[in-house]
Amino acid sequence: MDLLIDTLQQLFSPLTAAFAIAAIGLNVHFGLTGLLNMGHAGFMLIGAYGYAIATIQGAPIWLAVIISLAGAGLFALLLGWPTLKLRGDYLAIVTIAAAEMVRLVGRTQALEPWTGASTGITGKEYKEPFEATSPFPERLIPVGPFELHGTASSSWWLTLVSWSVVALLIVLYWLLQRSPWGRVLRGIREDEDAVRSLGKNVYSFKMQALVLGGMIGALGGVSYALGAQVHPDSMGRPTTFLIWTLLLLGGAASVFGPALGSMLFLATQFLVKGVLDVFVPDDIVSAPQAETISLAFVGITLMLLIIFRPQGILGKRRELAING
Amino acid sequence: MTNALAWARAHSMALAGVLAVLFLVWLAVAPSTRDLFPQTLANGITFGLLLALASVGLSLVYGTTGLSNFAHGEQVTLGMVLTFVFHTMLFRDMLPSSMSDLSLIISGTLAVLIAASTGWIQDWGLWGRLRARGIGVVQQMIVSIGLSLAMLNIIQYFIGGERLRLDRKIRIPYDLGIIGIKPQAAASIIISLIALGAVAYFLLKTRLGRATRAVSDNPALASASGIAVNHIVRLSWVFATGLAALGGILLALYEEGFAFNSGGRILLLMFAAVTLGGLGQAFGALAGALVIGIVSEVSTLFMPPDLRYATALGILILVLLIRPQGILGRAERVG
Amino acid sequence: MAKKRSNAPAVHPAFADVPHEPGAPKPDPVVVAHGILRKFGGLTAVDVDHLEIQRNAITALIGPNGAGKSTLFNLLTGFDRPQNGAWEFNGHSLSSRSPAQVARAGMVRTFQLTKALSRMTVLENMRLGAAGQRGENIFAALLQPLWGAQEEAHTERALALLERFKLLEKKDDYAGELSGGQRKLLEMARALMSEPEIVMLDEPMAGVNPALTESLLDHIVQLRDEGVTVLFVEHDMHMVRRISDWVVVMAEGRIIAEGPPHSVMSNPAVQDAYLGAHHDTDLSEGQ
Repeated sequence: MDLLIDTLQQLFSPLTAAFAIAAIGLNVHFGLTGLLNMGHAGFMLIGAYGYAIATIQGAPIWLAVIISLAGAGLFALLLGWPTLKLRGDYLAIVTIAAAEMVRLVGRTQALEPWTGASTGITGKEYKEPFEATSPFPERLIPVGPFELHGTASSSWWLTLVSWSVVALLIVLYWLLQRSPWGRVLRGIREDEDAVRSLGKNVYSFKMQALVLGGMIGALGGVSYALGAQVHPDSMGRPTTFLIWTLLLLGGAASVFGPALGSMLFLATQFLVKGVLDVFVPDDIVSAPQAETISLAFVGITLMLLIIFRPQGILGKRRELAING
Repeated sequence: MTNALAWARAHSMALAGVLAVLFLVWLAVAPSTRDLFPQTLANGITFGLLLALASVGLSLVYGTTGLSNFAHGEQVTLGMVLTFVFHTMLFRDMLPSSMSDLSLIISGTLAVLIAASTGWIQDWGLWGRLRARGIGVVQQMIVSIGLSLAMLNIIQYFIGGERLRLDRKIRIPYDLGIIGIKPQAAASIIISLIALGAVAYFLLKTRLGRATRAVSDNPALASASGIAVNHIVRLSWVFATGLAALGGILLALYEEGFAFNSGGRILLLMFAAVTLGGLGQAFGALAGALVIGIVSEVSTLFMPPDLRYATALGILILVLLIRPQGILGRAERVG
Repeated sequence: MAKKRSNAPAVHPAFADVPHEPGAPKPDPVVVAHGILRKFGGLTAVDVDHLEIQRNAITALIGPNGAGKSTLFNLLTGFDRPQNGAWEFNGHSLSSRSPAQVARAGMVRTFQLTKALSRMTVLENMRLGAAGQRGENIFAALLQPLWGAQEEAHTERALALLERFKLLEKKDDYAGELSGGQRKLLEMARALMSEPEIVMLDEPMAGVNPALTESLLDHIVQLRDEGVTVLFVEHDMHMVRRISDWVVVMAEGRIIAEGPPHSVMSNPAVQDAYLGAHHDTDLSEGQ
């Protein structure tokens, strides 16, 4: 019974919100524009490091957020400049390489005083300013069957703030997608030369999409860091692929797809792990093994999704974002 | 200014080669690096050869089907895992301890054969069917990402997270004066040279090999000239997975250990090698792998060693800026 | 309303004094190209010394397969770079401009393999074609009042064009659901959204149902009558004879003849170029 309540709690947890935010960013890249960004975790990591390091150096919250956004934007510019003029699979290779470079640079001993190297940056070094803004009391607060802390880490406050950000971003995506700007991107997604022949600067539009989606990804990273910690290994390739799965499940190019996919998948994954934990004895499947099983489950879900229902739950088959 | 850039692009290969040689020469003579330079160069070439063996298959599959196979890293790991299982659980105990090397060889051979058969099964059961349904290469790529994640975790489930050793004996390095080579490395180099030579011979001199190159170049044209493209593709998958497994085994010997993610860790390096060499060009993979290997090892002379792969990846991005078709690729194929 | 075309080989007034030779200067050229050379490896695809396109007339670019017509098209519209050459549009150089810049200057093209965006509706395709859209700026896009009025004006023009091309009732269908010929019409209508000065049509008849060819021809003639210059590449000699005011013939990358349709068709050099390459094209019909 507790397991069910905990699973329901996952539906609206700050962690789910963080991934929903990241997935919306990827939706701008892939759903709207058709960009094959295989390194989205890199944007998240830059956002997380940017916020944490800036906060440790004394920056107030708003400045730390701006710094993390600027870092992601710069990263997008650097990535886009050589690759947006090339074929799609080059962007895929470059983004995956670049994200890995970010992770490796984050891990390197040489930058240890800034990044904490392979141990990362622990929460208490940077969470305080945000927690201080919470209007809730500093204790565990039960609401119905759910219980969260008022201010610390994955708190009610973080839940409120991060899901508000999700709501804002959903509105943002909706506005952009139905605007002429969004229309150009949808054209680019299908046929760049057609759009060029109509007088639009395709390179500039793609770059704008890359920067915007990257910044949103950074916000996802900040959100994640505020609920957990900043650790390079927690935002690597598996994270990028998880976000792809969430997006494709909910439906790429749809407005609510990223959020829906995040909620459904993460709650299900939690439930599966929980069931394995509770019902299967530890000597057959231990906790770390349950983790690997659930990740294998992510991989298989991704495969099945893309083969049998690439438009996900909310996507429209006719508007399939995937080009052959 | 744009004229200078255009000239640089047109002569990028020559320029890059000259700059690279100059840089290496400088490293060889500068007092701060010259002592370690020969060893790092030797390490780089060794790693590059092994990487080449592992990457050739990636290039073969991309060339014949257009698929960037993200699960190729796990195919490399598969070779290591299968060899480990056969060696430690089967053959080593069947043979006297003085012949454990033989056990290793038998296990390795068996592992390569089984891995090659997984290539056949994959193309028959999955990739061939996806192609027949008209599912595009981008979708297939995402399928391979899912497969990679699944395989990685299934492997981890079975062998756990710690580092394992294929070969537990401590062996004394050969001292060749300025460089030292461990016997495992020496064996790996020799085996990989033989294997790469065999691949080269196959592609250049045999009818099947020439057909494979034709399919890589232009599948429609190859099919129109009577080549059975589907058979060639199936063969490419068999070779790709077999070679990947062999590369994995040799890598595990060279690095004196492996883990569930050894293959996944070098996936990006393999992509880098293949892209650097020219997507779809099998010989390009060799050239690219050597560059990546040398760059990552030599970079330890002046950058922190835990950034060696980051340096190699950085070089990849840099090259794509100036010469997106890679070392051996043709200029028209891109963008 | 379709204008009645005469079947007699009358020459367009602007071309009255223009000599019938390759590279002939025109009284009021909208495009002037000079010394264009495009090689692919060892193969010379285009080698044009001089070409002028007369304003407000319909010029056809014909030639056997492999003559370099589409390559020249791509070069002029910025989709390809030549080894050498320069060309001007209304006196402004377009030589190293990108395809988007060429389109914005007023030179719009269509494609041989139609590029109607199948995953968007017909109306959305049309709206995409409009130029100078304030809503295409990412910041302005967020505030609808900033671009709402413009969008309405564009939509009205789109609907008018769709009606003219008989596509109005399909406006909310996805472009992918239209027939091949309807997609060609859509691409043409879309190209007109930005009110270009010159429309370059790449094989507009290719793959079109014969029942639709008449209305396509009518539309093209109407364009010229409204002051738009038309340059088209075609293999369909009926079309060339019916509506073109001037014909430019290419073979093996070079321009081998220019002139009004009837004189070009009876030119022995032109007939030689076609023999063996396109022998199913009966050039002598209608003489």
